[in-house]
Amino acid sequence: MSSNRYLLFFSPDLINEPITYRMVKDFDLMINILRAEIDDTGGRLMISFQGSPQQIKSALKYLTDNKVEIKELNEYVHKDADRCTDCGMCVSVCPVGAFVIDKETWKVGFINDKCIACGMCIDACPPGAMKLGQ
Amino acid sequence: MKRTVEEINARIKKGDAVVMTAEEVVDLVRKDGLKKATEQVDVVTTGTFGAMCSSGAFINFGHSEPPIKMSKVMLNDVPAYGGLAAVDAYIGATEESCNGRPDYGGAHVIEELIAGKPVKLKASSRGTDCYPRKDIETYITLDTVNQAYLFNPRNMYQNYAVATNSGERTLYTYMGKLLPNMKNATYSSSGQLSPLLKDPNLRTIGIGTRIFLGGAQGYVSWEGTQYKTNVPLRNGVPAASARTLAVIGDMKAMSPDYIRALYMNKYGISLAVGIGVPIPVLDEDIMRTCALSDEELFAPVVDYALQSRNRKPIQETNYAELRSGTLTIKGKKAKTSSLSSYFKARQIAKELKRQVEEKEFYLSQYVQSMPAERAIRPLDVHSREEVEK
Repeated sequence: MSSNRYLLFFSPDLINEPITYRMVKDFDLMINILRAEIDDTGGRLMISFQGSPQQIKSALKYLTDNKVEIKELNEYVHKDADRCTDCGMCVSVCPVGAFVIDKETWKVGFINDKCIACGMCIDACPPGAMKLGQ
Repeated sequence: MKRTVEEINARIKKGDAVVMTAEEVVDLVRKDGLKKATEQVDVVTTGTFGAMCSSGAFINFGHSEPPIKMSKVMLNDVPAYGGLAAVDAYIGATEESCNGRPDYGGAHVIEELIAGKPVKLKASSRGTDCYPRKDIETYITLDTVNQAYLFNPRNMYQNYAVATNSGERTLYTYMGKLLPNMKNATYSSSGQLSPLLKDPNLRTIGIGTRIFLGGAQGYVSWEGTQYKTNVPLRNGVPAASARTLAVIGDMKAMSPDYIRALYMNKYGISLAVGIGVPIPVLDEDIMRTCALSDEELFAPVVDYALQSRNRKPIQETNYAELRSGTLTIKGKKAKTSSLSSYFKARQIAKELKRQVEEKEFYLSQYVQSMPAERAIRPLDVHSREEVEK
């Protein structure tokens, strides 16, 4: 079992495709939709897949065949350690608890795996240490 | 047990002084008791690293050929105040850039100068017989200017209210991003490490006191603006924002590790300033307050949804609860965030301890004590007759 996060881009003509239903029904994946947005340029879905590596691979192939653009999310938000002052402003605005203060050192840690790329921390960080990743 | 600043300095000179951080003496007093701890320790070091908006720098640029009496002064497109002699200017930390970037301002210019980076100076003037030049554009660094010193009218607040938001929309404030329905609360004090909480009546801190300022040795220069004393006390310590200090120090000796430009989204710019004050352990009374822990230091919680100067505290909390990460407000749990860095505050207290131990930093007896009593005045709209006496 592995769990991966992806950002999927749909062109407007794909919006009516029941993509997430296919992920569950045809590939037996456990899915969790982290974010979903639709505007006139198309749709963006941030999604996490849980399943065997083979199932995930087949699902990604299905998506690519259906012209869904896929970006694997390794690091959506990046913490600039030189800029960060370890104040902890990010801690209370993050909805998923991706920032944790080490009560021994009082340094602020960022758990990338928990991040759902909502961007709440980016405009809340006073020294500007949180940035969009590549 | 009593000792004087002179006696402590003599011990520092001999290498005999016992120095501990304000955090370390919390545990020491719990373990050994007040009397023994007072006998043992000569100096307690404190630290704070937080947003201090009322900060800025005086700079003297030197004279150009031909000379100019600068009236409009810009540093990296951030206006500085030039209404002084020909080549003196003051750049305020919160001044915003004129180039359309809301997230760049005076604080960034100050940080970049301290980091050794070049800054573009642009100045203009109407020209006079003695200062004929009308404009200049050049680059400066801390090395090219004559003087550059921080002169901050209000720093190191003795305590500060905790901010929350009962409203239905997110508020963007100088206390950071406040989520709706009291989902979070922000605070800004290093609590048990905070300089003015550890010497609450300023028995050892006054005009002329040598301090750690932005990595350099600076001085307390005056009472800070909005200095006040008429606030509730808990354990003999103000449980709301009270005293403040004006401080001064040479930017050429500062480090970007302890000065950081901040941008509070949709609010504006501020400057995080790192300050440490060594407190001489004169007697048991001063050691008692030096050893107060986060559990014993209190702050009011204020609702920023009320846009008034007369916000009444919703409740009181202490720094141990704030630092736990969760604050219960009216039965609901709010996540807490600190705006000041406890990590940096501790780093400063430890660095100051090292400097005192290694004879790089001597304590000072102040020249003049701070006001014992002071109330704060509001600004109301009056006619001339109402204020004229």
